[in-house]
Amino acid sequence: MSTLATLARRHSWLPPLIVLLLLGAIIGILRPSTFTGDQINIKIAAAMTLILIATGETIVVTRGGIDLSIGGILSLTTAICATRGDPGLTESVFWIGFVLALGAIVGVVNGLIITFGRLQPFVVTLATWSILEGCALTVLPAETSGVPKSWVDLEHAMPFGIGVPMILLGILIVLWAWFSRTRVYNEIRAAGSNERSAYLNRVSVLGTNAWAYGLSGFFAAAAGLYFATQTGAGHPTVGTQYVLPAIAAVVIGGTNLMGGRGSLMGTIVGAFILTLIGDVVFLLKLQSYWQWVMSGLILMLVVILTALTESRSNSGNGG
Amino acid sequence: MPLLEAVGISKRYGGILALNKMHFAATAGEVHAILGENGAGKSTFIQIVSGAVAADEGELRLDGAPYRARGPREARRTGISPVFQELSLIPDLTVAENIFFGDEQLSALGTISQRDLNEKAAALFATLDLPTLPPGAPVRSLSIGDRQIIEIVKGLASDPKILILDEATSALLPKEVDWLLNKARERAAQGKLVLYISHRMDEVRRVADRVTVLRNGETVGTEATAELSDKDIVSMMLGRRLDRLFPERKPTATGKIALKVTDLKVAHQLRGVSFDLREGEVLGVAGLQGHGQRELFMALFGAERPEGEVEVWGRKVTIRSPGHALSPEIGMALLPEDRRNQGLLLGKPIRENIVLSAFKRIVRRGLVDPRAERELVESAAAQLRIKADSIEQPAGTLSGGNQQKVVLAKLLATEARILLFFDPTRGVDVGTKAEIFSLMRDLAARGFAILFFSTDLAELAHVADRTLVMSYGKIAATLEGEAMTEGAILSATLSHKAAA
Amino acid sequence: MKRFSPSPIFLAYVAALLLFALVSVYSPGFANPAHVGTLVTLAAFIGIVAIGQTIVIVGGGIDLSVPWILNSAAILVTALAHGQNWPLIWIVPLVLLIGCGIGLINGIGIALLRVPPIVMTMSVNVITQGLLLIVTRGFPPPLAPQALTFIAAGKVGPVPIILFVWIVLAAAVVIMERRTAFGRYLYALGSNRTVATLSGVPVIRTTITAYAISGTTAALAGILLCGYSRQAYLGMGDPYLFTSIAAVAIGGASILGGTGSYLGTIAGALVLTILNGVLPIFRLDAGALKIIYGLVILLAVFIAAPSLRELLQRRRGSK
Repeated sequence: MSTLATLARRHSWLPPLIVLLLLGAIIGILRPSTFTGDQINIKIAAAMTLILIATGETIVVTRGGIDLSIGGILSLTTAICATRGDPGLTESVFWIGFVLALGAIVGVVNGLIITFGRLQPFVVTLATWSILEGCALTVLPAETSGVPKSWVDLEHAMPFGIGVPMILLGILIVLWAWFSRTRVYNEIRAAGSNERSAYLNRVSVLGTNAWAYGLSGFFAAAAGLYFATQTGAGHPTVGTQYVLPAIAAVVIGGTNLMGGRGSLMGTIVGAFILTLIGDVVFLLKLQSYWQWVMSGLILMLVVILTALTESRSNSGNGG
Repeated sequence: MPLLEAVGISKRYGGILALNKMHFAATAGEVHAILGENGAGKSTFIQIVSGAVAADEGELRLDGAPYRARGPREARRTGISPVFQELSLIPDLTVAENIFFGDEQLSALGTISQRDLNEKAAALFATLDLPTLPPGAPVRSLSIGDRQIIEIVKGLASDPKILILDEATSALLPKEVDWLLNKARERAAQGKLVLYISHRMDEVRRVADRVTVLRNGETVGTEATAELSDKDIVSMMLGRRLDRLFPERKPTATGKIALKVTDLKVAHQLRGVSFDLREGEVLGVAGLQGHGQRELFMALFGAERPEGEVEVWGRKVTIRSPGHALSPEIGMALLPEDRRNQGLLLGKPIRENIVLSAFKRIVRRGLVDPRAERELVESAAAQLRIKADSIEQPAGTLSGGNQQKVVLAKLLATEARILLFFDPTRGVDVGTKAEIFSLMRDLAARGFAILFFSTDLAELAHVADRTLVMSYGKIAATLEGEAMTEGAILSATLSHKAAA
Repeated sequence: MKRFSPSPIFLAYVAALLLFALVSVYSPGFANPAHVGTLVTLAAFIGIVAIGQTIVIVGGGIDLSVPWILNSAAILVTALAHGQNWPLIWIVPLVLLIGCGIGLINGIGIALLRVPPIVMTMSVNVITQGLLLIVTRGFPPPLAPQALTFIAAGKVGPVPIILFVWIVLAAAVVIMERRTAFGRYLYALGSNRTVATLSGVPVIRTTITAYAISGTTAALAGILLCGYSRQAYLGMGDPYLFTSIAAVAIGGASILGGTGSYLGTIAGALVLTILNGVLPIFRLDAGALKIIYGLVILLAVFIAAPSLRELLQRRRGSK
């Protein structure tokens, strides 16, 4: 029991993984056909936008902040994607690079504003969210299809029967395995754990904020790119639907909202949980609104359990 | 030639001159203590040497060459390694990650190997003859003493030319202090320089070759430690002889028992404590860090859930929360250990701080009566001689001594008659210390009952009527009268290991 | 020399007045009594929701459950009243009580179970939304009773009735902030929880009360809003999450807690409403408005930022 508890504390993504397996088991029983290669590709495709956008949020939350502007970046990216006409190869490369860079730059700007103004990330990114969503609506006033067909085709390609989303997921995990061991991430963790101590250890508050929010913007743009090519359309207000789920996925995955401790594996698990709840509700023939109730309850439950185990382990070490 | 030399260094913060054309010289191969009251400029000097802030004028010289660190990173690269009083460890990182933070060996891919760090840390612990500290444990899971040791190890890890120890022993047990003093001497023997900042005179005597005393941002003088008496040092620090730090002590205790504690227990930290605190008495509590005194105070104040019995003025009570302790039913107030994080709302005016625990006195029909509030605050501020522009000045802008007076005013405003003072003179200038002691005796004479913990045993010996000595969560000895000397208290804190 | 250091609250009022004056010069119709009445009415809705948000933020929290408490209240009132006036006597108190109850749940989760406010209120929002939709099965409820429309949209001469409601509530809130123990406790709690606890502040009770008030004012706003728009509809609460937080931020409060006043929030509500009214005059679209909103919030938090004030003070001090 105690080894299980230590294991759970060291790998904060284990408890949500158990929840995910349970959900998987329910779906498996209700609809055994789910676990075919095709279906798994579809599930990953469905979860991928959330996974990408929550990846950035994980980094920011580990840094001890929060990023709401990812909603605006997501919206703006899909809007830009849907207004590119029919670009050639060079143009395509340029525009894809452009949106990713734009996301990263917007994120860095968030980081700079927060650091130099010594402002609360919540309000600053709330404001930039509004600005970016405004830009999205200016670029594309209403939901329209119009994402270049070549991009959509590329996204829907199935080399060797493996979907692009699954490949993306693989790349993401490998990149994370590398990134989470670099000095930059170590400094982000340190600054999120205790900014003052980190500063005394020569960690740059500005640098870690720029990196964390910059990466968050980058991943939000990647999520927008993915979403646009997945649906073939631009959605200038879609971001609103993803901000809170992104935070929820991060929290369900065991990342501490106080900063210092983050786990992308947990976030990915969290994103899958939130995606599969819809399936479970559907298969149980409940009204689709139960999806919201259930995700809210799971989120609350996870946080309450974390809070309780934290206070237990802290009181054990007191003195 | 001195290894580290400061020539005419000045540093101004707003209107305050923290350092005023200050001079300093220390040679390689010595342990050099820096002494001074709070606000004398010690920490500003240390921060300039370690590159955390820049001097406004003057020059630092390292090995005779002018030296100006642009940031702590560069200072560290030059071989200057500070161990600050303020813990700089990162709670969510492991012991090993903390020790080598920023100096890790990177692989070809730019990654850091946990295993390498852990092995290096284990090897380092072995060479420093430390009992096996766990390299892989997150720092947040360690005790304060262990954290302090890791902080020191971190300072030693880079084998610096100049090691700066700033109040590094405050959380250490005696044998850990011995270890640190040995390490400091060893480094001096190896031809390195150790700058040692401490308030503990005995440690300075044991470890330092020379002492530099600062006062009001200026250097008073540098002398060999052996040639100075404690009195000399104090008079150098104060610039005047402080004849009466401690007030006259007349016994004022009555026979009435204000607080009776029977077999009080809190988890493993407090393992059965019983005593009586009488009306008009100042009852001292002594004990080394982590021997249950904090839990005792917190349990009495309702901030911990204890087992055992508590009687207040003869009535058996269960104190449910700090709010309950402060209520007229109990009438008990706490002066907490950490003024800045537990005692004061730093951003709020003096007025709001003083009335925070005493609303019942100024609320009429559900609303605060501004005139009653003003009167209460002004009389409390006057009684304690708080120096401030107005009662609307934010508490955080006051000096340490005045901040502590605001906390005291807040305590007195509650009209509680049992007062729990946990280390009331921590980080307070000598003048205010004397005022606090005379206030305590004065309160006792007026029938208050005071439980008084202090880390400075001289204070207990001179101010308390009796002193309880705690060891391993129990009361190891009760001293009073002639027997209650500083030395007797100290030996009682050390001697009762058998109680474990 | 007398020091002049304008408070953020004062600046927020100056901003509201300047903005109003500028727009009135450009478009004289803007200042006519009927239009001003409309503006005040719209500001009142933001202002009433923001009562709770101000109290919660001053206490160091945040309430993201506002939108669906508001929406639930609106739908419950219309659904229960079936367009009739007399049952409002028991329906309105009941619905306010339900709002208060949801707030209590927020408060209990945050104060007793130590769930971070963002997560707790976000979960409660989603769960409330789900439950409401399950109960109503997504069908729109009947029209709002006349009596509600009279209070929310009616006028005495040129003065909207709701203005009186708002003034009474505002006075009560300001008195509460300054002159009651609860108000002072709130500021202490928001400034430093440990100090508050050790000073005998009833931390748990204060936190729970703050969220309960927020639930109640959100419900009240919902009731009035459905009177104003003559019906309740799904999603009517969504804009009020952003505007309530924005009003508090523009009013000079720190999202960290411990500072600010409802007086500032009133100015914030006015600024936001005037900005909204500018939209048709300058033929701006929704996108431009969002951009302006974001910029105004950034500007406001910059002005109220501690760093800026410290800098100014330090410069004065050294002269």
